[in-house]
Amino acid sequence: MIVALSVLAIVVVAVILGLALRGRSKEDGVDSFRRQIDALSPEARKPTVDQVKSAERDADDDDSSTS
Amino acid sequence: MARDLAIDLGTANTLVYMKGRGIVLNEPSVIALNRQTGEVLATGREAWQMIGRTPGYIVAVRPLRGGAITDFEITERMIRLLLQRVGVSRFTRPKVVICVPSAITEVERRAVTDAARRAGAADANLIEQPMAAAIGADLPIDEPVGNMVIDIGGGTSETAIISLGGIVALEAVRVGSFDIDAAIQNYVRREHGIAIGERTAEEIKVAIGSADPTHDENQAEVRGRDLMTGLPKTVLLTPEEVRFAIEDVISSIVASVIRCLSKAPPELSQDFLVRGMYLVGGGGLLRGLAERIERETQVPVRMSNVPLEAVVLGAGHVIEHYEALKGMFMGARR
Repeated sequence: MIVALSVLAIVVVAVILGLALRGRSKEDGVDSFRRQIDALSPEARKPTVDQVKSAERDADDDDSSTS
Repeated sequence: MARDLAIDLGTANTLVYMKGRGIVLNEPSVIALNRQTGEVLATGREAWQMIGRTPGYIVAVRPLRGGAITDFEITERMIRLLLQRVGVSRFTRPKVVICVPSAITEVERRAVTDAARRAGAADANLIEQPMAAAIGADLPIDEPVGNMVIDIGGGTSETAIISLGGIVALEAVRVGSFDIDAAIQNYVRREHGIAIGERTAEEIKVAIGSADPTHDENQAEVRGRDLMTGLPKTVLLTPEEVRFAIEDVISSIVASVIRCLSKAPPELSQDFLVRGMYLVGGGGLLRGLAERIERETQVPVRMSNVPLEAVVLGAGHVIEHYEALKGMFMGARR
């Protein structure tokens, strides 16, 4: 009787865990896609482009001051 | 603590982007070696100036051809020296994202990542050049619209259709601006009987080369070695002759763009008529090329604001948002 109950409990826990992990992995897929799309937005890309533009401006300033 | 790096390992030039700093290195992908000892004598711009002008014991080579590693050992040494120049040592091992042609084989892919790891990278991941170019050219690839990018490099020309952060269609040919230089070299040798070096051929391309007739049709004086007498000789070359010489290469590039367009799903295809296609890469700077592609495809062609840096800027953005964008690495989607 105790053995049967233990086996049943293990099966129930395994089913609950399996369902929870399945739900989480679906959520992760949505989340990671959302994160990827957000990271590709023009707002997210602006600092990278601005960083390079400011470096170019600095280089131009250096050139004009040395010439 | 090492700063993570993005590398555009191009056939012609290598650009390095450092996280939080921007582009820290932009040099020709050339290495000069002592033929007898195998010792590295110069890399980058210094080595480029040696091409075709070295004594017998020195050889200045481009270890990448057609976007592929032709000499694994030399490429590894070149990457190691480049990483050293931007501050990477045995104690500072950064994560590295490397841009490679999309048509790269599994063996070539492994060769690039192994070269970067041996050169000091803690982790090396690859990203397709057209995808990086689209990110760097600031195209709205986060939206469900058709974005088309044509990346014409030294050894490869790639056209990609991108929507919602993924590649929808792709077409790549192992033909690029070095093939244009080689076609000019062959034409001058065949029709004028003089031998010219690859740097001279490149200078001719920049001076009078075009893919379509232009307003400015000046001739160029070309100096080389007469194949009959062996003496220095000067000939005049017209832009029309250069167009004839490079026609096969240009046709091949235009045909690959048309093939990519024909692979586009109809919903995205209509976007191109309004939004146009974006041209990036050094080869895209050839006069008349945008007009020629536009004429043959009936789709507007626009030049990127940063044609030479678009690829490394895109990879740089990926390294800045490494966790969010690691799903874009080659292999991650397969």
